[in-house]
Amino acid sequence: MVLEEDTFKEFEKAVGVGNVNDGEVITDAYAYNWCMEMFNYMDGKEPLPYSSRPKAVILPSSTEEVQKVVKLCNKYGIQVKAQSTGLGPWNCVSSNNSIVVDLRRMNKIVKIDEKNLYCVVEPYVSGAQLQAEIMKYGLNCHMPGAGPQVSPLASATSMNGPGFTSPSTGHSSRNVLGVEWVLPDGEIMRLGSWGMKNNPDWFNGDGPGPSLRGIMRGWAGAKSGLGIFTRVAVKLFPYPCSTDFELSGHSPNYDFKIPDFMRLYVMDCKNFKRLDEIIIQVEKEEISFMCSYLSGLAVMAIFANSFEQMMELMAVGGMKAPLVVIIAARTKREFEYKQKVMDYILEKNKLANIIGKQYTPYPVFYAEALRSNLGLHGFIATGGFQSTLGQCDTAKMCLNSATLNVPAKQLFIKKGAVANDFGEGVWMTSYESGHYFHAESPTMFDQTNKHSVKGTAQYFERSNEIGLVKHLGAPFFVEGDRWHDMFGPHMHNYHLWLRKIKEAFDPNNIADGGFYITPGKDKKGALKK
Amino acid sequence: MSNNSIISNLINICGEKNVSNDASVLEAYSSDMSYVEAKAPLCVAWPSNAKKIEEIVKLANKLYFSIIPISSSAGPRLHGDTIPQKDNCVVLDLSRMKKLLKLDKKNRVMMIEPGVTFGDIIPTLEKKGLKLNIPLHPRASKSVLASTLEREPVTIPRHMWDSSDPLLCTEVIFGTGDLFRTGTAGGPGTIKQQEKAGIAQLNPMGPTQFSPYRVIQGAQGSMGVVTWATIKLEMKPTIQKVYHLQSDDLQELLDFHHDLIKYRLCDELLILNNLNLACLLKQTPQEINNLAKELKKWNLIYVLAGRGKLANDKLEYLMGDIADIMEEQGLDPSKEKEIINDTNILRVLRQPDTDSWRMRLKGGHQDIFFLSNFERIPEFVSIMESQNSYDLGVYIQALNLGTSHHCEFNIYYNPNNAEESKHLKENFLKTCTKLMDAGAFFNRPYGPWAKEAYERHSASTQSALKKVKKIFDPNNVLNPGVLCFDD
Repeated sequence: MVLEEDTFKEFEKAVGVGNVNDGEVITDAYAYNWCMEMFNYMDGKEPLPYSSRPKAVILPSSTEEVQKVVKLCNKYGIQVKAQSTGLGPWNCVSSNNSIVVDLRRMNKIVKIDEKNLYCVVEPYVSGAQLQAEIMKYGLNCHMPGAGPQVSPLASATSMNGPGFTSPSTGHSSRNVLGVEWVLPDGEIMRLGSWGMKNNPDWFNGDGPGPSLRGIMRGWAGAKSGLGIFTRVAVKLFPYPCSTDFELSGHSPNYDFKIPDFMRLYVMDCKNFKRLDEIIIQVEKEEISFMCSYLSGLAVMAIFANSFEQMMELMAVGGMKAPLVVIIAARTKREFEYKQKVMDYILEKNKLANIIGKQYTPYPVFYAEALRSNLGLHGFIATGGFQSTLGQCDTAKMCLNSATLNVPAKQLFIKKGAVANDFGEGVWMTSYESGHYFHAESPTMFDQTNKHSVKGTAQYFERSNEIGLVKHLGAPFFVEGDRWHDMFGPHMHNYHLWLRKIKEAFDPNNIADGGFYITPGKDKKGALKK
Repeated sequence: MSNNSIISNLINICGEKNVSNDASVLEAYSSDMSYVEAKAPLCVAWPSNAKKIEEIVKLANKLYFSIIPISSSAGPRLHGDTIPQKDNCVVLDLSRMKKLLKLDKKNRVMMIEPGVTFGDIIPTLEKKGLKLNIPLHPRASKSVLASTLEREPVTIPRHMWDSSDPLLCTEVIFGTGDLFRTGTAGGPGTIKQQEKAGIAQLNPMGPTQFSPYRVIQGAQGSMGVVTWATIKLEMKPTIQKVYHLQSDDLQELLDFHHDLIKYRLCDELLILNNLNLACLLKQTPQEINNLAKELKKWNLIYVLAGRGKLANDKLEYLMGDIADIMEEQGLDPSKEKEIINDTNILRVLRQPDTDSWRMRLKGGHQDIFFLSNFERIPEFVSIMESQNSYDLGVYIQALNLGTSHHCEFNIYYNPNNAEESKHLKENFLKTCTKLMDAGAFFNRPYGPWAKEAYERHSASTQSALKKVKKIFDPNNVLNPGVLCFDD
């Protein structure tokens, strides 16, 4: 037993017998996660796929139980790391004085509000589960690029938030309405209209007055470094086409009846300058369900279910600047109009759609697009995958960032650390009909090979540094003290403000800030000028 | 420190011409149309750039005076949030900071200083083929930046992807006197270096793991003074068609309205009662009353818009799809008789107002506004009607992709009629609290609403907001007395 017996019993009293475990079999399992080995190496540790071992794993079933657990953590000076569906090292503890709160017992879709176009979910509801239910109302949700198996609550409150359908469903952070949040001191905070004493409801998350969503998260989430989110309301969107979803066969070779009013376009814009112009032309028309630039190799990957299949697509992979657009429509009229717009853009820019001519994807591709399952194809080549870059603003900045990253990646390809995509592997998506864009560089590596892990970690560091020195913005993984202290002085000392927030809301430093920020690391006190 | 010393320090920073404590000047800043008690500021300063504002905020921390930022060049001011509530208040009038710093058509964004008004910017945008998602017929002298900071409702809900839209990045001087930039404007690098890298300050989120712009917005100037912001723009349509549906049954219009927003079929979309639609379209009380009598009680206005070579194709598809929805709902558009014309409607939806349309009927108005979900709108209308004995304008605006609804009630009265004014003043707050008790969400709590709204909200919200205030304005120099920061 790792926890003191009395402490264990108190946790058990809070969440029920059988819902606390500090045995090694369980705690070791929670120390393992995808990419942990790479983050360990970046932190100067051995590149093993394990974090520190959590003191215990606790499974609360309600907001009130989460509150009790957090209050006990304050009482005993134990840190807490929460996880929902648990993908990635951000779900692991950063010290051996931390417990994991696994929210898997909180797995309900609390509300589907058809009239007000939102739903309320608990942490362990997956995007796939949610989508299956809201389709019945002709509605759809935003799902992050991580895929339909992950938690929409985690994406909305705590993680990042780009998705393949972002042109039509936005960014997780901007889809948040009411929130229920257990703060690090154990207080329960309910944001916006959900915090009203009279007739609380979830339809708005801001105010009264300033919006505390600004403290909750930014472009990236706080990764449980500022408390635990137990319920969230997120916006819903019209389902993009017919909700008929006829799937047959067996994994991974499913067959699928492509729904009415859905069409895929893949066009080679030849170079980034033209790509920048054309993607904006498409997005200004407000017609796309999905609109992404994918490098040639990435296009091969999204159409393949195996490495062998991927290699058969070399002709597709030869495109220099492929633009992948899916249009989808609710009615025949809408579909015809959107096709006319695409025809016009193709003709105007002398582009050819290769789909149906040079290449016809398996129908299951359309099912995966609707299910936001395309990101998982990044694992096909080597079994290991992670993205660098992640800055967000204009398409031009994203494409600059992709270009500047090529030599850095090529260096580690030459060293045999990462898979050879010529250094060009990129996914860039539009958001909100092209009002902003983000790009990331999916990087395939071998998680079981020390040389590959070390090289990939070194490449990540180099890639982040390029973002800093070339003024491309802060990449995805600027989190944790080391990265904040590196970027902050070049960004109006934002890290000092973030640290003040951490100190004000977490006076006992209870929320594990390994992937956020920790108090007191910067001893300089007053803001630097 | 004496008042004279404060003023002389301000003169050192802004220049003698840009500081005034002349009684006639101060009077304009001492009261507004709200019921917040009148009080004169110590002086007014007109800084010309961020550097001077930074110096003034630092000076306020040193000499213990308060600052009230104001951006609009002229009133009428309505909500009491700029009336001094403490002694030693300096009004920081930013209305002379009027630069359009950037207009980027490709990326549909502009960067503006606080003094840029709707009257300034709308014609400029039109010439460039762009448009801004604006509040309903905004006052020409109203600051665009202040309007976005106050989360004023905008009329195209399908272009409002988040409650913060169309506000994007900001440059802000926090209450500590520190300059900060939010979103991608935060860097790394200067704005010029960022532009060289291709950044246009489009992404409001961040930097990294927090989004300070959200706590500046809705703060009534109590967290920071914004010196510029980037604002999201849309492409200007080349053709548009206005629809006006009338009914005596609000629910009938709301149901149709719901499908229009759910499927994102139209641009502007709003519901007005007959009196408010008449106030918008007509000038004199007689004309207003005549039109109001002609109209049915509830009026749904929506605009279909298309752009470029396929604009007509777009309108055809939209009209066809909408006709199908109307048929499903048993609505018959052919029964509508044309009382108002497209040009007049488009004028009020797209152009600024030279005065204030809410003043035309009686010369005065008091407004009650809050957020509601879809289902409870008729209930709040009933509560309001049961509490009110004045001419009542109603405006319902879907926001944030249709997830919430701005409900606005305009109580029209004659401010020169002492008895009427007194009676309204006595009953105004009572009506508001009745609505709050019923669950109306006063998310923009001005003046005396603040105390009532926070009392009806969970204590943890207030406690968290105070912590945030303590971080960004530890000495409470920015607009003290507003919201929940003064116990």
